[in-house]
Amino acid sequence: MTDDMVAISCTVNERQHDLVVTAGETLLDSLRNRLLLTGTKEGCMEGECGACTVLVDGLPVDSCILASASLDGCAVRTVEGLGDRESLSHLQQAFVDTAAVQCGFCTPGMLMTLTALVEHVPSPTPDEVRSALSGNLCRCTGYQQIVDAVVAATGDRA
Amino acid sequence: MSAVGLSVPRSDAEAKVRGSATFGVDLAVPGMLHARILRSPVAAGTIRSIDTTAARALPGVHDVVTAADGPGGRTGVIVFDIPFLARDYVAYEGEPIALVAAETAQIADAAVALIDLHIDEVAPVATLEQAMAPGARLVHPSWADFGTAGGAQFGRDGNLVAEVFSDPGDVDAAFEVADLVIEDTYRNPRQYQAYLEPKMALATYEAGRYTIQVSHQFPFRLRDRVAQVLQVAPSAVRIIGHHIGGGFGAKLDVGLEAFAAMLARRCGRPVRMVNNHDEERLAAPCRANAEIRVRSAVRRDGAILAHDVDVVFDSGAYANNGPALSSIPMFMFGSIYRAGTARIRTRNIYTNTAPTGAYRGVNGPYLVFAMERHMDHIANELGIDRRAFRLASLADDGHLMRNGQPLEELSILREAFDLVEERAPWAEQGKGPLRGVGIAAAVWLTNPMPAQATVKLNEDGTLGVITSATDNGSGAVTTGLRQIAAEGLGLTADRVVVTMPDTDLTGYDAGSQGSRTTHVVGRAVRDATTSVRDLVLETAASMLEAAPDDLVVEEGSVHVAGVPARSVTLAQVGQTATSSRGPIAATSSYVTPSPPYDPLCTPGMLFSAWPTPTYHVHLAEVEVDPVTGQVTVDRYVVCQEVGRAINPDAVQGQVQGAVAQGLGYALWERMDLQEGVYVQRSFETHGLPLACDVPAVEMILMEHPEEAGPYGAKGVAEPPIVPVAAAIANAVADAVGAPIDQLPITADVVLDAIERAACA
Repeated sequence: MTDDMVAISCTVNERQHDLVVTAGETLLDSLRNRLLLTGTKEGCMEGECGACTVLVDGLPVDSCILASASLDGCAVRTVEGLGDRESLSHLQQAFVDTAAVQCGFCTPGMLMTLTALVEHVPSPTPDEVRSALSGNLCRCTGYQQIVDAVVAATGDRA
Repeated sequence: MSAVGLSVPRSDAEAKVRGSATFGVDLAVPGMLHARILRSPVAAGTIRSIDTTAARALPGVHDVVTAADGPGGRTGVIVFDIPFLARDYVAYEGEPIALVAAETAQIADAAVALIDLHIDEVAPVATLEQAMAPGARLVHPSWADFGTAGGAQFGRDGNLVAEVFSDPGDVDAAFEVADLVIEDTYRNPRQYQAYLEPKMALATYEAGRYTIQVSHQFPFRLRDRVAQVLQVAPSAVRIIGHHIGGGFGAKLDVGLEAFAAMLARRCGRPVRMVNNHDEERLAAPCRANAEIRVRSAVRRDGAILAHDVDVVFDSGAYANNGPALSSIPMFMFGSIYRAGTARIRTRNIYTNTAPTGAYRGVNGPYLVFAMERHMDHIANELGIDRRAFRLASLADDGHLMRNGQPLEELSILREAFDLVEERAPWAEQGKGPLRGVGIAAAVWLTNPMPAQATVKLNEDGTLGVITSATDNGSGAVTTGLRQIAAEGLGLTADRVVVTMPDTDLTGYDAGSQGSRTTHVVGRAVRDATTSVRDLVLETAASMLEAAPDDLVVEEGSVHVAGVPARSVTLAQVGQTATSSRGPIAATSSYVTPSPPYDPLCTPGMLFSAWPTPTYHVHLAEVEVDPVTGQVTVDRYVVCQEVGRAINPDAVQGQVQGAVAQGLGYALWERMDLQEGVYVQRSFETHGLPLACDVPAVEMILMEHPEEAGPYGAKGVAEPPIVPVAAAIANAVADAVGAPIDQLPITADVVLDAIERAACA
């Protein structure tokens, strides 16, 4: 192990990983290139589009500007960690049912941001959904069907 | 109906929400190299020297290519003006100069930085004004030697890429007898498509053929363009398409593919290329910046006697599809509103800026902005209500557009005005200080280009649709084509599987552009499905010992009319056919026939008619903050003719998404040029709309089924962006009481307009 390598131990989607990463390596790189979890998308590499959003200890972060070396002991959750083999999460299912997916490139990041939102605010209002999405760009949908999806997935809990 | 008209989910929706859908950028193959591009750091200059010695010597570098190594000549879609790599001079910031292939992208980037490049910079021809000035430096000194596709002839001269000039000869006389002459000049900036997945290519070379995996809107054009660039036969190129992370027109031409293919051959290894985001905005082809001057001769009673229109739009350093787009003003002025006559001059101009090109609606949004702002201006001058003036000016069915093409169903537009009025009564909208209402209308086309589709009955009774059509997000393939096929055999859409494009396997298709997929490919799918149905009936008839005409196909089975018990399943039919007459499949092709027009009306029109027109009325209600200059969109209503909504939720998504892009264009998005170079270099500075910025669009669907379309469907996805800037600008102008003649309508523009109104 050279000087610019860092050993970290973290969980990704509840699976333990011991990784040796370079000092400058982003979490997005580690996910996509080391763990081959390509569901998390690389949009801008500037922390602006939100396509790379994952949850670190339950909070949404832009994985393209977060150093993996800082994640020792953390719990990372990606789109591959939503739902299970048999069924989709409520949010994922609502995205399918309300046509909230078009090209789908922003979708994983949207779902992670919104998963964090509904874990903190179980029945968000449309305005709360819109403001939670202030770091997630979608160029296809104009956002309405994404907002509808969250309301559909969470409304019955109100 | 078993499938058409239902809001069924996309076939790729589950994969996309799970993150398992493979986009172009997710592809990797063993042994692949990574290539990066040395791009011009300046807008214009002469290449004095390129020394690649240090780059070649860097460990991990496999190849470095400059213009000297590449195919010579120039290529393009319409004008052959683009060199493989810049050879003697650079014509825009970002123009590719050299390629590096290496073990990793990081090594390739490091090698690019080691290339010793000397450019003698010259002052760029940065603006339309500079490019058109007498004695202006030519962006391409050898422009006269550039060939054109098919030898096409149109007005070209130095920095003038193309000119379309229509002058019926009676315009000046109309101005002489006019009561009023109203003149406006409108300006609009560029708009960046801002799709999230950058362009990419993954190329391999084997046994004399190139295989290129991409996320691309138009695989067959890509095949042909790669072949043109590399000077090989199109059959030597195979394009395999994957999920596309947005395109909106930016992924219709060759991008990185020919570079990756050439490097794969030279290196004997697969080569992957992906643009970084800054490269992407340089290579995007943005919607062009333009200036539109409109003069109208008007009679006191409101009759428009003549328009005199002068449109100048920026091609950037290369022509792309600009010569074809130069025809579009011919369909925007004097088309829906009556005008006695019209002179329309459109010029497409070379500058030392990144090339412009296709973006949803191409130059429609700014032309309708100009036309509809001008209509408001005329109405205000005449003291006529703006909506009433439009209704009085609206032409009737059969009205001839400037190309001589009749709009047979133009009265749909009058119906659209009425439907908007029912939903949002004009007299009640935009009331109160600093509130305003705007209305705008448009006619748009459905792209007619060719499609082929094969439909097969599988032995389990499901259907397969084999097509090169691409779904860049609209759902036209993943819902629409499946629904159209399903309906033909009374199946639900989940019983239909549709392929991804592969130019070796799937029939020709002209790509996801101009809302064509549901209408044109859908028609081919419908026709092929009809043939499959005939074969199903023939086979079932012998199985059931009945005449084909006595059979009913529904819910996955075939039965004798009135005797449901005498039935066979589609699976039994499929198996029986396979082992008797052979597997059931049918292929059909379709191109929208050209509508009638006058071919002699205007020389140089490469885009001569407006097939399968659709009709649109948009209404916007806004509120302006006099302190911040901020515009809030309180209400947005769209009334759109779709022929037949195959999937209402998908239609809603296209309309909502297009309006969001249109609001960005109208109000916030910046893509400014300074000395030929883009100023805004990040998503944040572009000012793209966020979830908080975009209201829920109220949609009124109109369905006048089009006989030629599958189940009556026309195009949907492109046009809802077209009238947005016009409706918003009219609403803001109404709110502030002063004209709005430029886009985007930023806070500065609004505050300036408020001040002008106060001084008036």
